[in-house]
Amino acid sequence: MKVICPRCESPGVTQMHAGMEDGKVLWRVWHCKDCAYTWRDSEPAESVDPKMRPAWAQMKGVDFDSLRQVIPPARKPT
Amino acid sequence: MATEKTVSLSAEAGAIAARVGSLRDFLTFLGEHEQCVRWPDPVMPEPDIRNISVAAGNNVATGPAVIFDQIRGYPGKRVAVNVHGSFGNLALLLGLPKTTPVRDLFFEIIRRWGSDKPLLERVPPEQAPVNENRIDKNINLYDLLPLYRINANDGGFYIAKACVVSRDPLEPDNFGKQNVGIYRIQVMGPDTFTLLSIPAHDMGRQMLMAEQHGKPLKVSVMIGNHPAMPMFAATPVGYDESEFAYASQMMGAALRLTTAVNGTDILADTEMVIEGELQLNQREVEGPFGEFPGSYSGVRKVPLFRVTGVSHRNNPIFENIYIGKGWTEHDTLIGLNTSAPIYAQLKKDFPEVAAVNALYQHGLTGIISVRNRFSGFAKSVAMRALGTPHGTMYLKNLILVDENVDPFDLNQVMWALSTRTRANDIIVIPNMPMVPIDPAAEVPGKGHRLIIDATSFMAPDNLGADPHLVDRPMGPAIDALMQRLNELQKGHA
Repeated sequence: MKVICPRCESPGVTQMHAGMEDGKVLWRVWHCKDCAYTWRDSEPAESVDPKMRPAWAQMKGVDFDSLRQVIPPARKPT
Repeated sequence: MATEKTVSLSAEAGAIAARVGSLRDFLTFLGEHEQCVRWPDPVMPEPDIRNISVAAGNNVATGPAVIFDQIRGYPGKRVAVNVHGSFGNLALLLGLPKTTPVRDLFFEIIRRWGSDKPLLERVPPEQAPVNENRIDKNINLYDLLPLYRINANDGGFYIAKACVVSRDPLEPDNFGKQNVGIYRIQVMGPDTFTLLSIPAHDMGRQMLMAEQHGKPLKVSVMIGNHPAMPMFAATPVGYDESEFAYASQMMGAALRLTTAVNGTDILADTEMVIEGELQLNQREVEGPFGEFPGSYSGVRKVPLFRVTGVSHRNNPIFENIYIGKGWTEHDTLIGLNTSAPIYAQLKKDFPEVAAVNALYQHGLTGIISVRNRFSGFAKSVAMRALGTPHGTMYLKNLILVDENVDPFDLNQVMWALSTRTRANDIIVIPNMPMVPIDPAAEVPGKGHRLIIDATSFMAPDNLGADPHLVDRPMGPAIDALMQRLNELQKGHA
């Protein structure tokens, strides 16, 4: 099954690491390139299931460029 | 200016300061006092580490540090939590019995406050334990550290108790302006992380400076440190004062420093150092994170760092913290060191101040006990507290009580609130600066302050109550004299 981000539902996710036990994969850590959410697929549903996560924590359709800056950049990145 | 003044330690405190040189030493020492537990069962990274951390921190008096060394999927890796999670653990570090009352711990820190001789020892990098292992290529933080989600709705995996060292980008050779602070770090890619600071913090100032002038900002993220380091790195000292020197002064024993590959000073016995460089003007989506007010911070765009190298001891310990809705290790870790500088700064101008308790959520509520010198005096003390470096951002609710009310005894504070407060002794100062993550802010970063004067009533002094007015000479005689002076000035007389 295609892995998508539990928070913004983007398909742009990358595996960061796999936890091994007795030579088998126990869990995988994923990172979303769009909303930067990071999760382990063994976590409770409240963190990794879009249907079980609280609505306020979801970011589907959010314009990430419009997020507030805590320290505004001095200029555009080079 | 530093003097040669050193702290005088009891025999017990001296012995502890001499034997505790690292996190490992401290965990062993805590274990001897039944204040450190090795969790005996295998745990999942989530939610087990979170839940056990909360349980350990719930016993504010004598909750133990907890070591996990059977983390499923992370064979051989270790996590330590709640190392500063109880006042008992702090008391032991200061050489006091673990049941020492919080008020006495406060005055022990105050007693050590005046010592200012830096006690720093240099260790050649090749002899520093932190350099037992070095990784320069194919860095993957998710592999190197047993990372986990601290609160269920955090945006990722946080390194939340690391002490971050950075040099002033414009004066990289100035030791005093080298900053050590604790900032939340969210791991992003395998070799990238965000670091959250605000312009009011030293690190925030340095990030602004680096980007404004196009200068590199190199940092060393120290994980698993001498217990004095996280305790005192979070103390608001002056910008040009060294947190290393300050931590050593407070411990009354030398801290061992070495030089990281990127040129910053680091603790020679730290468990792991992640060296990183600010990616100028680059930002990444960060958060939310369950923060010390007990609510999640928002999702923001935050400066991004790239890892340039990692050094670590053999079998390193990932020391982390549970932070969220209080009471948590965060409150115990920084509470006394938030209270102490406010007390010291007030005491300089107002010797009537008896004690300051700013334990609550990094000082969002503070209680000051003070002897009224004259009527209304406590309110002036409150205003001064709002002008201290920490008070400027954090002291939101201030309660003033008499000098014979112990601000660390909340029953006594409630007595003062019940019997000494008049409704018109409450002052609200609107639209003041505020910590952006305080959910009570009107808008992030701006909100209202509250002062409750619950000190005993005192008659106003009566100077001016019965004024006898001076009769000012006036009338035709004075007019004639003015005319005469005018003529004298013009030489017509």
